Amino acid sequence: MDGSGLAPEIRRRLIQACQRIAGPEGVVSAPDELRVYECDALTYYRSMPDLVVLPTSTPQVAEIVRLCRDVGVPFLPRGAGTGLSGGATPHAGGVMIVLTRMTRILEVDLANRMATVEAGCVNLWLTNAVKHAGLFYAPDPASQQACTIGGNVAENAGGPHCLKYGVTTNHVLGATVVLPDGDVARLGGTVADGPGYDLLGVFVGSEGTLGICTEVTLRLMPQPEAVKTILAVFRTIEDASNTVSGIIARGIIPVAMELMDRETIKAVEANVKAGYPLDAGAVLLIELDGPRAEIEAEAVGVEAVCRDQDCLDLRVAQTEEERALLWKGRKEAAGSFGRIAHHYHLQDAVVPRTMLPQVLREIEKIGLRHGIKIANVAHAGDGNIHPMICVDTDVPDSEGRAMAAGSEIMRRCIEAGGSVTGEHGIGLEKREYLRFMYSPADLAVMLRVRAVFDPAGLCNPGKIFPEEEPAGAYGFSPGPLAVPRP
Amino acid sequence: MILATTPLEKLCAIVGADAFVTGEALGTYRLGGGKPQAAILPADDGEVSKSLACAWEEGLGVVPWGGGTYQSVGHPPRRYDLALDLRRLNRLLVHEPADMTATAQAGIRMVELQRQLADRGQFLPLDVPFPERATLGGVLSGKVSGPLRCRYGTARDLVLGLRLAHADGTLTKCGAKVVKNATGYDVTKLYLGSHGTLGIILEATLKVVPRPEVEQGWWLAGHDPGTAQTLADRILGSHLVPNRVEMLDEAAGRECGLSGSGLAVSISGLPETVQGQRASLERIAGESGIIAAEIRDVEGIWRALSDFPWANTGWSGGEVHALWRGGAPPADSAKAMLAIREATPQSVGVSTAATVAHGILRGRFRSEAPEAVVHGLRAAREVLGALGGFLTVLDAPASVRAHVDVWGPAPEGFGVMQRLKTAFDPKGILNPGRFVGGI
Repeated sequence: MDGSGLAPEIRRRLIQACQRIAGPEGVVSAPDELRVYECDALTYYRSMPDLVVLPTSTPQVAEIVRLCRDVGVPFLPRGAGTGLSGGATPHAGGVMIVLTRMTRILEVDLANRMATVEAGCVNLWLTNAVKHAGLFYAPDPASQQACTIGGNVAENAGGPHCLKYGVTTNHVLGATVVLPDGDVARLGGTVADGPGYDLLGVFVGSEGTLGICTEVTLRLMPQPEAVKTILAVFRTIEDASNTVSGIIARGIIPVAMELMDRETIKAVEANVKAGYPLDAGAVLLIELDGPRAEIEAEAVGVEAVCRDQDCLDLRVAQTEEERALLWKGRKEAAGSFGRIAHHYHLQDAVVPRTMLPQVLREIEKIGLRHGIKIANVAHAGDGNIHPMICVDTDVPDSEGRAMAAGSEIMRRCIEAGGSVTGEHGIGLEKREYLRFMYSPADLAVMLRVRAVFDPAGLCNPGKIFPEEEPAGAYGFSPGPLAVPRP
Repeated sequence: MILATTPLEKLCAIVGADAFVTGEALGTYRLGGGKPQAAILPADDGEVSKSLACAWEEGLGVVPWGGGTYQSVGHPPRRYDLALDLRRLNRLLVHEPADMTATAQAGIRMVELQRQLADRGQFLPLDVPFPERATLGGVLSGKVSGPLRCRYGTARDLVLGLRLAHADGTLTKCGAKVVKNATGYDVTKLYLGSHGTLGIILEATLKVVPRPEVEQGWWLAGHDPGTAQTLADRILGSHLVPNRVEMLDEAAGRECGLSGSGLAVSISGLPETVQGQRASLERIAGESGIIAAEIRDVEGIWRALSDFPWANTGWSGGEVHALWRGGAPPADSAKAMLAIREATPQSVGVSTAATVAHGILRGRFRSEAPEAVVHGLRAAREVLGALGGFLTVLDAPASVRAHVDVWGPAPEGFGVMQRLKTAFDPKGILNPGRFVGGI
């Protein structure tokens, strides 16, 4: 069933009120048009909102939230819908507040190296807008050409270059937030370390459950003097992951260290022809940036570690075009999997970087045991792995096997001292996995925070926290209102 | 066997008589003129948990203690029955150099933590006042930072996870032991800088970094604050990767062993990269007509910078002094320093330093007249407030505190903060009344 089962009369009145707030062009209510909003990039979960509103200002968002609060209807924010954990998929119908009409860069403050943008501003637009001044915005999720800053804040988005520069939370200085009671609060700002609890810190990564951010102030960084991008080719994934540990152990922190295995290379080459060797067991894309003298010295160290691990080939991008091509392969890895599988589950987990070789070996075994193909892409420098669990619809119960394998991988990562998500968030997908990591008391702390911000439980309900009753041996519960795709 | 019946007897039974302090020995736990009924030094997490459960049951006001270096911050406790001294929880539990992570107990002294990390070539890039006494737990609870934050950030950027004891004794963990984690709410950040009012930190997992081969420092002296700001902005906006860019007025410079006002800059790394950056720094300074003079005693100067304004240098006995910390937009650091000097009565001695990358100012006012110091703090708070910033009084005598709220006006979102405190500590036993707005 879609929607929350709102009485038609209430729905009609909500539509009217929202049209008054956001204009008739700012409300979507026809069933065929609502279909666009039934899922994010995790298409496994689908469920329709009762209506969609596209406000153009913070006061409009606040007014819509107050309306929902007064009527007792759930609401949730959505940006570009590129999230990978179902965070922007309605769980209980309600009003979806879409921020894609709030896309302005409100202020670029070069003196303070900060910018303030509306939540619907696309990630890459910001870097494009400050490039001329020698600055950039560091977090770079793979979807950065489409994903919004508001969504990045909700999910605490990462990306390949977070190894050196940190994730979204390390770059958010302030946010204007519409709290679930409709009040507007300005958390943080252009001044660091103000007195009081770090509400901004807990808001970032709260997946749209503690309120809706409408404006964000972000730190900009000076572009590095020089960049060096190296493709290292290995016989086995083990050699590649040992190289990652070896580089970090030397005290070198590249700006990015991306690992792709044989299956990924095949998919990427079939799709974008990035020039990765098809006979390789794995490749590492290593990028160094910083003062020129520093990266030259570090490159020597990186090459030495690669050779120690019997690296088959080392290629340094000589031009910006070569660098862009090497990165294109990585950035489009996920999109390339259509070439080797009907569809796939893109997983996200983190292990201590020293555990990478062991965990990747075990993932391979898990795949074999369940009779399914698992390809691996990883922000290896962070220990952030992205197993791509392939689903072959011709094989009976492929979907079920993929789920079971995914759950097993999660457990293994936790046993290794890791985490069930590094950057995609919990959303709908990983609610049951939360228990793998946190005790009931640990979760109770989070639930207390939730109750403080949103006592009525109307703000993006059904996300992050496990259902009362865990469902199924593998704990993969789609929830009562989100129906799996047929 | 004697049955423990009073709250104190129960606590004594939990930690043992050797770890139970009463009477005269409580002097070191004095706060705002008051002493607790007892202090305890639990030996492990379990004893902390049981002690808190007991305090919770009995409604005792509990003040967590480490080295006491930051206890002057905040209001005096509304209720102070028990000092919970964590200094026996003093071990580095795990150090994985290849993962660049470490887990340590809250009661470890900073200098000891750094010494053990250094054994394997790494350090926690957090420079704090009095590292010989300050404990990790205290540093994180107060979100203490120093000039090194210019490059490495604050506890916010360096703490990956925590283990905590809550008001009723419940033990929880948050965050993770890996460098990237988006699992559930990032509640770790709530505890950092919460001054022990939400829960007591028992253990922290930290990002650590390799010790650099070389670190060099320069003193860019002898210019007006406007030039210093321009210079700092140019350095921070350049390709250079400085560890510190600290702006000092003349008085602060003198206290730190540097002459005149200026910028202290440090750069670290491999010898060849430091040389390369040195050349760029000299060029940038030269363009403003400034000479970058190499600092010889780098260790001593960095130590003085991170101790500023806490170190007791050159106070005369009869003076009233107030230490404070403030924030301004980074590019307004010099403007704020100047405006504060101008707004403060001439009879008040002012020394100020600013971590320009983050617009964090630290300062000291001193005068024979408490009312002049009060006037100065109010004026400085007004100056910073007009820039969108804040001022927190770190230490001042009661004669000053009586007239200035040490935390300043309630911050944005204060209602949520109050509700958080109530949700985490409904009986209000943890550091009662000490934080912003009497939380």
